[in-house]
Amino acid sequence: MKIFSLISAVVVGVALIYGTMDMPEWGDPNSPASTHVSPYYLEHSIEHAATPNVVTTVLADYRGYDTLGETTVIFTAGIAVVLLLRKRRKTGGEDDE
Amino acid sequence: MNDFVLGHYNYWMFIGLMMIGFYAMMAKKNLIKKIIGMNIFQSAIILFYISTSAKRGGVSVPILEHAAGGHGSHGVDVAHYANPLPHVLMLTAIVVMVATLGVAVAVTLLIYKRYKTIEEDEILMKIKEGSSAPKELVDVRSQKDSIKLRTNIEYRTRNVEL
Repeated sequence: MKIFSLISAVVVGVALIYGTMDMPEWGDPNSPASTHVSPYYLEHSIEHAATPNVVTTVLADYRGYDTLGETTVIFTAGIAVVLLLRKRRKTGGEDDE
Repeated sequence: MNDFVLGHYNYWMFIGLMMIGFYAMMAKKNLIKKIIGMNIFQSAIILFYISTSAKRGGVSVPILEHAAGGHGSHGVDVAHYANPLPHVLMLTAIVVMVATLGVAVAVTLLIYKRYKTIEEDEILMKIKEGSSAPKELVDVRSQKDSIKLRTNIEYRTRNVEL
């Protein structure tokens, strides 16, 4: 079983390394991730939100609903943990029967 | 060739880290070690995304310098700041990571309370034996109700037969 895990990890790793052959170079300013929409955010952050920190602008202004959903994720996880770990006082039902 | 390696070795580092986590998730029997493997996996993905936001040549964090002056849109040199979007998306990913970690540890704690072990093979053995669950954690009420119901039915059928 362990050898199967090792083989599959190596196979997946080799496939991913094969996938990096077409990736842009590290630190390339013209990489696809840095050219489409991110200049827009950098240029208009001050104008739209008056916030120098662009990460804050994107997080709280442009993607405010995304952040709201994030709090939903945290809330759901918290509720799940509370439901899992609460004390089960009434598990035995009425023991005096 | 050398340039190619220098331009891509960061991806290979993250793939190596990711496969360490992947192997730990599959091969380790200890549930806590599996969770640690999942965290290593997620951290590798986060590092990968952060590395895509880097730009060569005197690039700083995406905090605009001349913000006090106001009228920003003309003076911003995009090539001077790192790409902010991967940073934001990885903030979200970190939140999801913490949430999954919390739920996973809670479930592991419950498993430990019930089976007194977090080794996967021992848990499977105890499940096959079937007698593992300590009394206090089984839902006694439903058992009692079903017993009551069964005796009721038996009683009635006996009456009918009589």
